[in-house]
Amino acid sequence: SESDISEMAIVRDVLYACQGIDGRYVKFNKDADGYMIDESIKVPKSTRTLVRRLCEVGWLYLRVKNHISESLENGPLEAIGTVGQAFCAALQEELADYYRLMAVLEGQAHHSIPLMVGADSANSVGNYLSLRRLVVWLGEPLVRMRLMAVLVDDCKTLRGGAMAGAIHMHAQHGDPLVRAFLRRLLRQVCSPLFEMVRRWVLEGEIDDYYGEFFVSAQSVKAEALWREGYQLQTAMLPSFIPEPLAQRILRTGKSINFLRVCCSDQGWAQAASEAVAAAGASASGGILGYGEIEVLEALVAEAAGRIDKHLIQIMYKRYRFPEHCLAIKRYLLLGQGDFIQCLMDLVGPELAQPANTLSSFKLSGTLESAVRASNAQYDDGDVLDRLRVRMMPHNDGDRGWDVFSLEYAAKEPLTTLFTEEVMGKYLKVFNFLWRLKRVEHALCATWQTMKPNCMIARLWSNKEGGQSQLTAVLKRCQTLRNEMNHFVTNLQYYIMFEVLEYSWSNFLEEMEEAHDLDELIAAHDKYLGSILEKALLGERSQLLCKTLFSLFDLILRFRGLADRLYENAREVQTRGDSSLRSKGRSDSLTKSRPGQRKLSTAQLSGDFLGTLGEEMDGVAVEYSSLLEGFIAQLPVQQHVDLKFLSFRLDFSEFYTRQHMGMSTTPI
Amino acid sequence: PASKSSQLEKVSNSHGEMLKALSSFSPSVQELLVIEDLLSAMVGIEGKYVCVRRGRLKEGNSFYYQLEPSLDASLSDLAKRILPLCENYVVVSQFAEARSHFKHGLVNHAFASALRAILQDYHAMTAQLEHQYRLGRLSLQGLWFFCQPMVAAMQVLSTAVQRAIVQHASGAAMLNLLQKQAIAMAGDNSARSLLQKLIHAASTPYFGILERWVYEGVIDDPYGEFLINENKSLQKESLSQDYYATYWQQRYSLRQEIPGFLASYAETILTTGKYLNAIRECGHIVQVPSSENGTLMKGRVQQPVLERINVAHDFASAELLNLIIHKFDLIGRLRSVKHYFFVDQGDFLVHFMDTAREELTRKTSAMSVEKLQSLLELALRTSVAASDPYHEDLACSIEELSLMAQLHNIVRNGNVTSQQIGSAESASAPVSSGITTGLETFTLEYKVRWPLSLVISRKALTKYQLIFRHIFHCKHVERQLCATWQMHQSTVRTVNTLGTAISRSYVVCQRMLHFLQTFQHYMTFEVLEPNWHLMHGQLLNAKSIDEVMQHHDAFLEKCLRQCTLLWPQILKKVDKLKFICLKYATATQWLIPAIFRQNDHFQQSGPTDKRSKKGYKERRGRLEYPMQARQAAEDSNFKLTIGKIDEEFFKELKLLVVLLSNGSQSDPCLAHLAQGLQGVA
Repeated sequence: SESDISEMAIVRDVLYACQGIDGRYVKFNKDADGYMIDESIKVPKSTRTLVRRLCEVGWLYLRVKNHISESLENGPLEAIGTVGQAFCAALQEELADYYRLMAVLEGQAHHSIPLMVGADSANSVGNYLSLRRLVVWLGEPLVRMRLMAVLVDDCKTLRGGAMAGAIHMHAQHGDPLVRAFLRRLLRQVCSPLFEMVRRWVLEGEIDDYYGEFFVSAQSVKAEALWREGYQLQTAMLPSFIPEPLAQRILRTGKSINFLRVCCSDQGWAQAASEAVAAAGASASGGILGYGEIEVLEALVAEAAGRIDKHLIQIMYKRYRFPEHCLAIKRYLLLGQGDFIQCLMDLVGPELAQPANTLSSFKLSGTLESAVRASNAQYDDGDVLDRLRVRMMPHNDGDRGWDVFSLEYAAKEPLTTLFTEEVMGKYLKVFNFLWRLKRVEHALCATWQTMKPNCMIARLWSNKEGGQSQLTAVLKRCQTLRNEMNHFVTNLQYYIMFEVLEYSWSNFLEEMEEAHDLDELIAAHDKYLGSILEKALLGERSQLLCKTLFSLFDLILRFRGLADRLYENAREVQTRGDSSLRSKGRSDSLTKSRPGQRKLSTAQLSGDFLGTLGEEMDGVAVEYSSLLEGFIAQLPVQQHVDLKFLSFRLDFSEFYTRQHMGMSTTPI
Repeated sequence: PASKSSQLEKVSNSHGEMLKALSSFSPSVQELLVIEDLLSAMVGIEGKYVCVRRGRLKEGNSFYYQLEPSLDASLSDLAKRILPLCENYVVVSQFAEARSHFKHGLVNHAFASALRAILQDYHAMTAQLEHQYRLGRLSLQGLWFFCQPMVAAMQVLSTAVQRAIVQHASGAAMLNLLQKQAIAMAGDNSARSLLQKLIHAASTPYFGILERWVYEGVIDDPYGEFLINENKSLQKESLSQDYYATYWQQRYSLRQEIPGFLASYAETILTTGKYLNAIRECGHIVQVPSSENGTLMKGRVQQPVLERINVAHDFASAELLNLIIHKFDLIGRLRSVKHYFFVDQGDFLVHFMDTAREELTRKTSAMSVEKLQSLLELALRTSVAASDPYHEDLACSIEELSLMAQLHNIVRNGNVTSQQIGSAESASAPVSSGITTGLETFTLEYKVRWPLSLVISRKALTKYQLIFRHIFHCKHVERQLCATWQMHQSTVRTVNTLGTAISRSYVVCQRMLHFLQTFQHYMTFEVLEPNWHLMHGQLLNAKSIDEVMQHHDAFLEKCLRQCTLLWPQILKKVDKLKFICLKYATATQWLIPAIFRQNDHFQQSGPTDKRSKKGYKERRGRLEYPMQARQAAEDSNFKLTIGKIDEEFFKELKLLVVLLSNGSQSDPCLAHLAQGLQGVA
């Protein structure tokens, strides 16, 4: 024969090689990295080439087989996870097909190959197997085996969703054969993933022992459950599930858990079962699995829609979120005017004391009486219970004003929305508003002492002696108060209407449209953020805020001055009166004393007025420079809508002109 | 058999011997040996007597098969006929292997897969031939005969594949190449049907992409083969800023390479997906249009595919139109835009001009947009406009250039570029008045959101603004003249003006008013209103959003032209006339009070003289002579000024009428205006 061995023997060996087994003649050659006929054996060159080519399947088979056995037998289960297991199982199933083919071929290989037999014996020739016939038989298995080997190589280090994603990338192929094969494979590989998604979306449970799911859970406290309890693992997100859908899936399960843990509500179970029914109806009976993204989308949409709606309703109806927001706006953001006025009146004298002498019990009592005395008493008891006095940590020399604040104690599950950080922001706003209110209150009180009455009128009209100096100081005082009042009123108008009410009405609209807790939280954050930003409490307007606070301090200082001035003036007046009266009465008795006394009074008040007038001038100068700085800084704040405030403050362009006059005329 | 095997043994001793050996065999043995080797060569494996040689025998391949030269001559000729088949097989199988790689794209994958199926048949055939050979029934002649169908097919495939390799074809190019090949071979029935089968297989993934695009508006094209290219960098938000409105035009565009069988429908396909995409961008889930026979579009006959594309197109277009017109209330929006920009409910403008007069007369740089904005809001809330649900979207802004300068740019550059080019050329632009005040640069702004920004794009809005600014300025001039007229009225009531320059001035004033009012009447009642109604009717009947955009654009273009904004000469004249009017108004507003300060003085000094004109005149002549002299001087000054202005105005107006009647040849609408103005001129 032209070769040492018969073709039959070669075929049998090739079949062995195809299953990764060395035969008698066909052996694995390490140098060539493949199966080939032993060099020592003499065979035709064409046979050698053909065998080499056929045995590629065996080489590939070995790779796949090794992967399966390595993953299943040697490695710990954690390393491959359920998806890896499913992948191996699917490969095994494919290999089973391959084994069946091998068995069939094996059977055929036993028939002898006819060799140039005569026509007569042709009928007796069975279904023999030659190398060329093997080429036909192994054509399709080769393609499949190649694919499997590539997948095995690519997925070696991957797990869970990442592995499914990697296999999915291979499915982006135009060959229908490849496509169908990978689809079959992926349906199996992804089934544990989709089961996880289903459980998570409908029951809020994570059955993920090996960290393969794209949602991961952390154990946190109930109030942080929503924000920190669950996270999306982007690495584990297979690429055939789009990011928005994944977010939605995450949120749906989170909502269920939130309802269960924080709201101890069971109503979601019904919503979930309704969702299943609805999804089944809408997706035309599709089963959850790879390639049925529409079914998944429909299921998630239904479940998310229902459960989020349920959650929002629970928040609105049972936990009355809007009412609490309104209450916070009314009490912490000073929306309830009469209450605030009452509180300010009642608590004012108390707060003038040093901070360390204050008793929070007493202040709580005052708060209670302020509630009783105002329309707030008609408010819901639940809301009023949550309103408390809070004393902030104080330093030496702090007055009550600096430490007093109101607090609204939110209960679970609203703490998810009103977190400590959020309440801190509210506190910041409250402190600012309270300060502003106090300044306004102070200016009003000053007006009460300054407003024209008969006594003041007499002071004005009395032009005798040193009184003209008094008149000048009084006039100065009046104009300054007016100027300050203009500023404070406009600022307050801006804060109340342009900032608070505007943000509130936006918030109400967004609250109406919020479909899920995330949107609600975002709306609330936006609301609070816009208040902070526009009320100059944001990061970027710190300088402005500082100027503003020093303006406030200045106004309060002015109040002290004005009070002293008027007290003095009144004293002078009463003294003058009494001396006049006593003069009339005791004129005859003592002639020298009254005159002497009057003189001393005038002198005293003259000195006093001099220093006071100077101080007043100092305040005025400081005030105008600060205010000028404030107005000049306003337009620099590009980020917020402050132009209206500056436009309001300087409506008649008084300050602009003043500024221009100052800057153009050299001193 | 025994002798044969011993002979065979002899041959394969060594390569060197073998050459001699072949010729030493009898022809029948030679035939058997060659058949054996040919069967190997047919699946691309070199044998002993059939060897592969590198090099070029014929164009294309870089190799060829060579027969053992010592073969019997007639056998050699017989065997040579089969060699091309072997060569072609190698080419095709290599191609099929190579093109299955990811980078070659879906079409190539599918094509390779189809090729592989054919090759599998081919392998089966060789196995069959081998069987015959083993049974001893195969002669070289028989081999040639059995191979016949494959020879032709392989030749066709090889030609196609070689072209594809040369052109590096993928995607649509591949499909086109196959299509071209099929057409070129139309005469050969079997070849054509083979190629058709391949085309069908190769185009399947392509149709898959097409289906998603046409039914869902999504491009799922991992290898960039589809006929539509998506430019992700263009965002829909750009529509409200970008003057050229590139989003709609360039977000999705056709690639150069389009499969031939879709070429005529490419535009339809593009717009269908674009509409669906637009609906999707609005946050609506697109309903896949009813496709009764499943979503498969693999019609072997092309007609149903194209029909289904048309159905999908109609559906998408109707859906988007419905969405924009009904859900987003396009007509209402346009009406609202018309209220403000065409001033068809003018009360807000009157309010606004009253309150913002001071701010508007400042220099452009000194104006505060915020102040104007708050005044505008005030005006809107206190007028009929408050009932318009969209009035909050109106804002105001200040342009850099005056209307004339901007139009100058448009005419010169063919395009409106208000900011970019404008600032550079403002120096050279013929600005009539040295300082541009707010009156010339003030304009309205309208916030348009997606998807309405498709129709009311930046470009459309700019045109609206141009018209608005034109009307606004006319209104301003008219108001000035009205103020002058009021002054005249109060003068006529208190003083006898008969025979003085005042009555002449009064006439001039009336003439100017007439001119302005005619002009405005023409613009609003003869151009804007009727055109708007025409467009409104067209919009109601429009079938697609593209049609709506087209009508809207045409409407604006027409309005611009008929409002003379695209006639630089006419516009310049009108501007000149307005300038004269303003000059007149300023002059009279200065001069008349100057005269009447003295007259007032008169009346205070002699209230009793009012009873008779005679007594008044006498007294005037007698007692207040110096004063009267001054008055006369003022009066003559006034007379002179008025006269000059009147003459100038008259002259310019005449020129305008001439220009208008010249222009009316190309636009008959101008004739109306010319006629209207004829009365004054």
